[in-house]
Amino acid sequence: MAIKYNREKIGDGIYYSSVTDGFQKTNNIYINFITELSEDTAALNAVISSIISGSSREYPTMTSLKRRLAELYSAFVKGSVTKMGDSQLVTLEVGCINDRYALDGEAVTEEAVKILAGCLTDPHIENGAFYEKDFELKKQELIDDIEAEINEKRSFAFKRANASIYKDEPAALSAMGEKSRAEKITAKEAYDQYKKLIRTARVEIAFSGASDMPVCKEIMKDAFDRIGRDYTGGSTSSLSAVKDKVCRVTERYDIAQSKMVMAFKTDFQDDIAMRLMSAVYGALPTSKLFMNVREKLSLCYYCSSGYNNNKGVLYVDSGVEQANIGKAEAEILSQLEAVKHGDFTDEEIENARKARVNSVKGTNDSAAHVAVWYFQEIYDGKERSPEEYIDRLMRITREDIIAAANSLKLDTVYVLTGKETD
Amino acid sequence: MEKKVIKSERLGEQYTYVKHPTGLDIYLWKMEGRSTTYALFGTKYGSINNKFKTKDEADFVTVPNGIAHFLEHKLFENEDCDVFSLYAKTGASANAYTSFDKTCYLFSCTDNVYDSLEILLSFVQNPYFTEETVQKEQGIIGQEIRMYDDDANWRVFFNMLQGMYLNHPVKIDIAGTVESIAEIDADLLYKCYNTFYNLNNMVLSIAGNIDEDKVLELCDKLLKNKGNPELETAFEPEPDTVCQREVVQKLEVALPIFNIGFKAEPPETAIETVRAEIETNFVLSLIANDTSDFYKKLYDEGLINSSFSSEVFLGDGYFCSIFGGESRDPRLVRDRIIAEIERCKKEGLDRERFETVKKAYYGGLIRDYNRAEPIATMLLNMAMTGNLSPFDVIETVAAVTFEDVSARLEKQFDTEKVTLSIIEPVRGEGEQA
Repeated sequence: MAIKYNREKIGDGIYYSSVTDGFQKTNNIYINFITELSEDTAALNAVISSIISGSSREYPTMTSLKRRLAELYSAFVKGSVTKMGDSQLVTLEVGCINDRYALDGEAVTEEAVKILAGCLTDPHIENGAFYEKDFELKKQELIDDIEAEINEKRSFAFKRANASIYKDEPAALSAMGEKSRAEKITAKEAYDQYKKLIRTARVEIAFSGASDMPVCKEIMKDAFDRIGRDYTGGSTSSLSAVKDKVCRVTERYDIAQSKMVMAFKTDFQDDIAMRLMSAVYGALPTSKLFMNVREKLSLCYYCSSGYNNNKGVLYVDSGVEQANIGKAEAEILSQLEAVKHGDFTDEEIENARKARVNSVKGTNDSAAHVAVWYFQEIYDGKERSPEEYIDRLMRITREDIIAAANSLKLDTVYVLTGKETD
Repeated sequence: MEKKVIKSERLGEQYTYVKHPTGLDIYLWKMEGRSTTYALFGTKYGSINNKFKTKDEADFVTVPNGIAHFLEHKLFENEDCDVFSLYAKTGASANAYTSFDKTCYLFSCTDNVYDSLEILLSFVQNPYFTEETVQKEQGIIGQEIRMYDDDANWRVFFNMLQGMYLNHPVKIDIAGTVESIAEIDADLLYKCYNTFYNLNNMVLSIAGNIDEDKVLELCDKLLKNKGNPELETAFEPEPDTVCQREVVQKLEVALPIFNIGFKAEPPETAIETVRAEIETNFVLSLIANDTSDFYKKLYDEGLINSSFSSEVFLGDGYFCSIFGGESRDPRLVRDRIIAEIERCKKEGLDRERFETVKKAYYGGLIRDYNRAEPIATMLLNMAMTGNLSPFDVIETVAAVTFEDVSARLEKQFDTEKVTLSIIEPVRGEGEQA
């Protein structure tokens, strides 16, 4: 059965998508609030997502909510914040099994979506603020989470690199915001921001499952009707300008293996060609970076490229011994020069193309993945189907790849490393 | 060739099991109309299998730590090319992994599934090692080991295993150490390969839009019967106590990270292992999942945060229950868990939540049947546990009683056999780098 996708407007700045595939044994709904990533509101929105996903007026404690969800065959309500370009996505999500697998014939999905609506519109409050005790715990947890970013060294290196790559741009910030701001949040301030966010931000809701359930859309529509909207416009991203001089930053922590993030900037318009270029250059285990930096020179366990099309930034990240940082950088640059000069075979192009096709087609494996695909497309203002994307991908030429590579300029080299050694 | 269709009435699903004449167990799950096919070809050979013998040897031999993982890396290199470059022609996304008790080679693809399968079946059966390629790999794996040296969640877990087990090789890092892999050479790799990469010791599992006959045709063509070496593995006897009660290491982390493990006797048979795992999971949920009063108490006191979780960890010759998370006071968390377990032994587990825990367990299992990848993985894992089916898991969960679970609490949670592992921050709280 083919994937069915439909998107419609159901309110002021609110869109509802439905993706069905006839196969899924679970149903999911996410509500994405798309808002500008800013120093003032990032941490606020982060704490809001965690409070409203953890309780509601009907289920005022975490335990009562979790127990009800467990009865619904381990349904879940999840809140999160993520970064997309210069925007912060505040996501509230519910997932549950398809009703046909319920042992006692319960209407699991409808009940789970109602719980989600309750979390969204009817949080646990007292005296015009979030319930203080809950709020304090969630706030402390946010502070802990921000501090714990250092625990994962590879992603921590990215976080620190972003501060330099996107200096003075919203994308420089972390999705969870800064600790110093988080510490100042009050229950009243968070509640006020919550009301503002759900009234004014652009909203994309997506249902994914085996078959469409109109009742879910109605529950969502009712919820937002109750909220009363005052939509102020969406948040978009702009390309990041390349710096006049390459920015070099080294930071030292108590770690064994160094991490290097290199960022190249571009204003190249064709994201499909750029991703294919990245596949030839560094995104795959057959790319130039893997074959040379890892397999030939034995310098790294991982060394790969990725592309952030919202900001026009291609990055290369690697884990390397401190003594080999210079060697790795030189090889990473020299492999990019090779691509710029067209030093790759037709076979390399076709291999990269096949891998890209495989990855895009693989999206269709799950309605939930397709829903995420369309969300990213919509954010970019494109709304291409996976099939349309592949159609264009098949027509990218050698010249397109060379042009994509030549548009890249080195902007930042960030190194996270251990104590100085001789 | 023996062929059987295994069905689940409950799920309305089925798959085919084939015992191939070469000795290979094959599991095929057809998913009509789906885009992705996921295939796994694995051997029951992991980091713990460092002591073994075959019918050709009089005595058991011991090999360097990390060799199963090293072998996995090296199989990706053919005599004339890299295996990734073969897959590149089909567009498949390929990978491999080594765990404590298995090594698996896999691909995921949307087109050219039989070409990819041919690559998979061929390269895993055709080893090629030279001293030069072995040396090159020592550099790459050295960097992989260094990466894990900085990984606090990995370290806290292995430190706990090292504290818990005196002799069992589960305590040794899967990749070995920079020193142990330096002892590996081409001859040793061939020895291990010829011992463990025998089709009698292996499983092929595929889920996706496949034609079973075409798959079996390819198997007939490519699988090589090398005879049965009558492999035996062995472990040093493991004492019934923990080796150390506490292991502490300092790393670049924000809050202290902990693992608290309860050591227990491993079950004797495959089906008993599955029952023990499921019933122990029930115990963990009843005592300390996020719907329990105990969790709420600790959470409200700020002693744990939402990273707190528990799991059962088991395999050939080892079985333990682990509570993990972040806390400002991991020792107090341990003491509270021990006290709660003792209380539950005396006053009984929370019977009221039993049915809810069961429903949640069942719901969680249903999720795994959405896509090819988890389905093929479950088929392989259950086959390697002892020719069991993923459907056995669902049926066992459905049949578990409160009394089974209460008995498990008595049996599997000895509060004398506890190891606490802590990763402490190198800096004090609030201190900047």
